[in-house]
Amino acid sequence: MTKEITFKVFRYKQGDPAPHYDRFTVPCDENTTVLIAMQDIRRDQDPTLMLRHSCHHASCGTCGMRINGKEELSCVVKVLDLGTPTVTVEPLENLPLISDLVVDMTGFYQRYTAARMPYIRQSEFNPGAEPPEGIDRYTRYENCIECGLCLSACPVAGSDAEYLGPAAMAAAWRAVEEPRNGDGKHALNWVDNEHGCWRCHIAFECSEVCPSNVDPAAGIMNLRRKLTGSSLLRLFGIKR
Amino acid sequence: MQDVQSTQDTVRPKRPLLAWFDVRSRKLGSWAFALNRLTGLGLVLYLFLHLVILSLLLRGEAGWDAFIKLARSPLFLLMDAVLIFGIIYHGLNGIRVGMVGLGYGVRAQRGLFWTLMVIGAALLVASIWLVFTI
Amino acid sequence: MKSYHALIIGGGGTGGALAHDLALRGLKVTLVERGEVTSGTTGRHHGLLHSGGRYAVKDKESAVECIEENLILRKVMPGTFEENDGLFVAITEEDVEYSRLFIEGCTDCGIPTHQLTREQALAIEPNLSPNLILAVQIPDATMDAMRMALRFFATAKHNGAEFKTYTEVLDVEKTGGTVTGVRVVDHRSGKESVINADIVINAAGPWSGKVADMVGVEVPIRPSPGVMLALEGRLCNMVINRMTPSGDGDIVVPQRGLSVIGTSSWVVDDPDNLGLPSDHIEKMYAEGEKMIPAVRKAPFRAAWSAARPLIGPRGADTGRELSRTFKCFDHVDEGVEGFVTITGGKATTARGMAEATANVVCQKLGVDAPCRTREVVMLPHTAYFTG
Ligand SMILES: Cc1cc2nc3c(=O)[nH]c(=O)nc-3n(C[C@H](O)[C@H](O)[C@H](O)COP(=O)(O)OP(=O)(O)OC[C@H]3O[C@@H](n4cnc5c(N)ncnc54)[C@H](O)[C@@H]3O)c2cc1C
Ligand code: HEM
Ligand code: SF4
Ligand code: SF4
Ligand code: FES
Repeated sequence: MTKEITFKVFRYKQGDPAPHYDRFTVPCDENTTVLIAMQDIRRDQDPTLMLRHSCHHASCGTCGMRINGKEELSCVVKVLDLGTPTVTVEPLENLPLISDLVVDMTGFYQRYTAARMPYIRQSEFNPGAEPPEGIDRYTRYENCIECGLCLSACPVAGSDAEYLGPAAMAAAWRAVEEPRNGDGKHALNWVDNEHGCWRCHIAFECSEVCPSNVDPAAGIMNLRRKLTGSSLLRLFGIKR
Repeated sequence: MQDVQSTQDTVRPKRPLLAWFDVRSRKLGSWAFALNRLTGLGLVLYLFLHLVILSLLLRGEAGWDAFIKLARSPLFLLMDAVLIFGIIYHGLNGIRVGMVGLGYGVRAQRGLFWTLMVIGAALLVASIWLVFTI
Repeated sequence: MKSYHALIIGGGGTGGALAHDLALRGLKVTLVERGEVTSGTTGRHHGLLHSGGRYAVKDKESAVECIEENLILRKVMPGTFEENDGLFVAITEEDVEYSRLFIEGCTDCGIPTHQLTREQALAIEPNLSPNLILAVQIPDATMDAMRMALRFFATAKHNGAEFKTYTEVLDVEKTGGTVTGVRVVDHRSGKESVINADIVINAAGPWSGKVADMVGVEVPIRPSPGVMLALEGRLCNMVINRMTPSGDGDIVVPQRGLSVIGTSSWVVDDPDNLGLPSDHIEKMYAEGEKMIPAVRKAPFRAAWSAARPLIGPRGADTGRELSRTFKCFDHVDEGVEGFVTITGGKATTARGMAEATANVVCQKLGVDAPCRTREVVMLPHTAYFTG
């Protein structure tokens, strides 16, 4: 069953005085995702519409958008599931806009890489399984797909332009929790400042929008516990 | 101090007030925070008001008696109820924020919130009953 | 006006690997991509770093390429693969029959195999079907389609290659029989311009037929899409392949916390209009379930289509029987100078394709520089954004 859906899409080209919204009507069926609808618009109605996408299955993290005001991966949001006759599509917040639905990820990645988290971690799936010959232990990628949804949803990032942000601090916590090529001290030091873990106001928006089970807010709280713990110990003259 | 690009956007400058208080399509945490901030600010305001009113005492009995009369009016009692709500909410949510903020009960934060709110609701009902009956 | 030695059209794995190779050889390279890099087929593929096992019986040429590249990439891209190997699982007597051919083929192609009994296989992959009869371990690995390719881009960028994303090629500039550059539109601003280069390389994957049309040369490419299904939960840690000749839904690739089942195959005209047939999605469940029964109960995450740049006459109607080996066309045979097309292949063989193409490019430009991509360790994917 196809249904005509109207999309209200955020538009901005470099040199424009201000952003505006364009309306497009797209026939959508039960498989049509918001990403596919945007691509259909680009193919059939406006070849200048700019968007990021790559994997189409919630794995690369490039297709983040604000859909009806909420941060989502557009490749896994089915249009008809939204249930609204008009769907508003906007770029992520808290990163500089490049054009239309595309934001500049440089600042995100600068923060994200600072904790020096290796991308390969131990796999915890099928815990009873013994690894095959020639392999010490099963490994897998980290959960975070670097989509920036958390940064966009975070109210602190909405007011502090230097804030390290949830994804970067979640990565720092991973570097502490499972030290693979270091002891995590660097990551702990890095978040221990007024734009780091202490700035967070525990709104949990990051964990609400995270599409990949990272739970960045929990990571930030764990960093705080670790830091509080060690400063308490220091207070009593115990050094660890 | 951080060697990272600012997340400021010239096309869409940050709007901190909206970031904090536009809770449309946001979840529990943002609502809880927005309300916590509002009640916190409300409590500060109240503290000042409270001091101003207490200072009436310095001006003698007449003014104070007039105030007490006013304070007994239903409208004023209703405002008391709002104040009590503010205290209870801010205090109880504050306990959650304090705990979670130090890494305790993070995964249980939602349950913690609602448990505290149920306690809060009971306290609120009891207090309001007291306010209007005494 | 700035001019480049080489201009690459298409920011997929192939274009990225080529930029990396040419930049290491000291050439001034630029690459234009109409969207974000890896927004074509590259980002959307299955994520399997082929051992070559899949091709060892019917397409030995491909299989040998795969195992060679597999070993090289593990070395030059440390930390990029989930290196948990793969299994070919035999579930029926027919599969067992095929396993003999399979092991023979692998041995011929230099792909190490290790045969496992039912019990051994179930111990390392408990979710496999109880109908399992035997399994063969081969050195498959899992990649993140985008992040693997990004390492080419990151390293090339570091070595001076310039990437122009959101820049679409509208036309190819020619003087007489020689291609001199491309006319592009920058979608960020809507401005059109011409970029000149000594040589233009068409690496537009399934779109390379369209780009060739701009020049007026023939590239026998057909977009051949396949459907893939991603389920929540990592049902296996190894890549699970069905012990059959290439078929639909015969591979399950674990990825992060997902399991991805693929794929199918048909042919379309427009690589921008693939569609997503529901019956193909159902086929993925049905075939995947035979290897891992838990597939049926796993929550749905996504289903999508991606188009192979398959070499073959344009206009034929099924995709499977064609060789998957890549081709590098120097269109000088058709009377066009300064224009080369690289197409076909696999993500696994992108480096090798780039090496072959870079050799052609360097020869045409009279540059004498050896390929270094077999040794140079690449930067992490994040360096593409931070570098
Ligand atoms: C379903 C499926 C599963 C696969 N699974 C695997 C696997 O598991 N392992 C493996 O190794 N390989 C796999 N492959 C093969 C692999 O994905 C492809 O061979 C490879 O990604 C092709 O890369 P490419 O760079 O040649 O093409 P693409 O990635 O498609 O790059 C071409 C680029 O050109 C751009 N472009 C087009 N027109 C223009 C223009 N006019 N101007 C500017 N830019 C333009 C496009 O936007 C696109 O980004 C799979 C393929 C499919 C279809
Ligand atoms: C009952 C005991 C109280 C507790 C447990 C408590 C707890 C807290 C906590 C944990 C915060 C931090 C919130 C955050 O970081 O998100 C906070 C903020 C605040 N509190 Fe309280 N508080 C209490 C009473 C009060 C009182 C009596 C006042 C007023 C005089 C007050 C005014 C404020 C203000 C103004 C803020 C700042 C709000 C903000 O940053 O948004 N609090 N409180
Ligand atoms: S929990 Fe902290 S980091 Fe996460 S959204 Fe809230 S303020 Fe931002
Ligand atoms: S933490 Fe989650 S929301 Fe944030 S970038 Fe990573 S995957 Fe995206
Ligand atoms: S396109 Fe990769 S996450 Fe959506």
